[in-house]
Amino acid sequence: MTSDIKSVLEGLNRKELVEIANRKKISIPNNWSRSLIVELLVLNVTIDNIQQIEKKPSKPKITSEGICAIVIKDLVKKFEDVTAVDNLSLEIMEGELFSLLGPNGAGKTTTINILNGIMKPTKGTATIAGFDVTKSLVEIKEIIGLCPQEAAVFKFLNARENIELFGNLHSLSKKEIEERTDMFLELLGLAEASERKAGGFSGGMLRKLNLIIALISNPKIAFLDEPTVGMDARARRKTWEFIGSLKAENKTIVLTTHYIEEAETLSDRVGIIDYGKLVELGTPKELMERHEAKNLEEVFLSITGRRIMEGI
Amino acid sequence: MKFQVLVALVKMGLKKLIRQPTNLFMNLLFPATLTIMFILAFANPEMGMSINSVVPGLIIYAVIFLIMTIAQSFSSERQDGLLKRLKTTPMTSAEFMGSQIITNMLISIIQVVVVFSLAYFLGFKPDSGVEGVLLALPITAIFALSSVGLGLITATVAKTPEVATGISFVFILPQMFFGTFVPMSSTTQQIATFIPSFYLLDALKMIFDGNWMNPNFLLDLAVISIFSILVVIIGMILFEKYGSA
Repeated sequence: MTSDIKSVLEGLNRKELVEIANRKKISIPNNWSRSLIVELLVLNVTIDNIQQIEKKPSKPKITSEGICAIVIKDLVKKFEDVTAVDNLSLEIMEGELFSLLGPNGAGKTTTINILNGIMKPTKGTATIAGFDVTKSLVEIKEIIGLCPQEAAVFKFLNARENIELFGNLHSLSKKEIEERTDMFLELLGLAEASERKAGGFSGGMLRKLNLIIALISNPKIAFLDEPTVGMDARARRKTWEFIGSLKAENKTIVLTTHYIEEAETLSDRVGIIDYGKLVELGTPKELMERHEAKNLEEVFLSITGRRIMEGI
Repeated sequence: MKFQVLVALVKMGLKKLIRQPTNLFMNLLFPATLTIMFILAFANPEMGMSINSVVPGLIIYAVIFLIMTIAQSFSSERQDGLLKRLKTTPMTSAEFMGSQIITNMLISIIQVVVVFSLAYFLGFKPDSGVEGVLLALPITAIFALSSVGLGLITATVAKTPEVATGISFVFILPQMFFGTFVPMSSTTQQIATFIPSFYLLDALKMIFDGNWMNPNFLLDLAVISIFSILVVIIGMILFEKYGSA
């Protein structure tokens, strides 16, 4: 046990070691070496004391463009022989609507799954609001909302019951759940169908419900994985308007989509991912200029076209 | 554990029982139908079976079929991406598993009440009176823990609800044949001592005979409790590690 603690302590930097010592009300002289502090702490701390420090968010990274909500560094995810995410590094700013584009199997959903704590990365790091996705899942779950690719709703519950269930899982108050449920049902045009079982919903209605569930907890950061698949053109437009309106609430939104027009209309910045690698990054305008293209679809095809040519 | 989260999940589980036709049939209508059919068809002295010997077996029938519905439900929720989605909420694994245990214990209690009520109207008059029925409820609920555990193990192995249905019979059939009211030879009785439902059957018979002060009753209770707790723990660990996403 002591050797376990020692090995964990040896992995921390001096500042973190001093912070643990301070929490245990041990003062550390400035001239003490790191190894000496480790030796002292081994005798005085438990794994819990160390974990308190590890789970603390690091200071969010600040760049010239603003505060980073998500920082991904050298992220790798391998499934046996297949590398789904290959050394991906990316920073997404607070309040930004960021679209991740890529052909099927490019690694978009795997990246989102890692950021949501559903999968563990093989290598690399990712932080959300300063919290490490492998160490501070409890804290991360409080601030994120996921709209998965599949319409993951309980079919035997009606729309309102589905939303209320997830509101309760986020420990929202009854009043808050009711108010937000009514507001979202109205905004997305599901109010009249709110008492109908989700099992009887059309594909588009299920998608809307899927989206509402992701947002019921008022998350700071929302991951929308192909939220408008299966919607008719009218419903899709309405949903785009709704997603666009979330920007006014300063939410950070990570969107994956196959509708390039969706990304072009909504996004502040777009990242194009192929074979797990980030191959292009910038605002839609920047990308179009860089590739001398009329629209984002042309950019996308010029970058990922080889896959289409190869018939993958 | 947050009470609000537990209540929300248990409410959802009970709605699933009532609103999903498979669950409603397997957990309530099937035991009810079986109770009526078995009592009318077999429970008469000419067939060598009394109603008092049939009813404990019918209660066990109901509870062991929970294995199938639990396994189906977990594997279909996994297939639909619901388990993955639940994992991204602040709900803890303990709250999720706790809610499953509470829900299924409640369902087993409802099953006992259904089987007992129907049997009562068809002539079942246990020597124990009401106390016996009340005592049967918690013991059956404890046994239901093993069904939760075996259901979780099945859902860990089975990747689809269809496969889960098939695999669940690996756990259902031995309990059905060696621990209900199917007549047994001396050899099969030896085998039955390794089957937990055999002990529940014995305990329920003692309860309905008003014989629960018998020391063997405590032995049965100990076997049922230890087995059920062990199986549910194994089920939760396996499902959490290999089956939940």
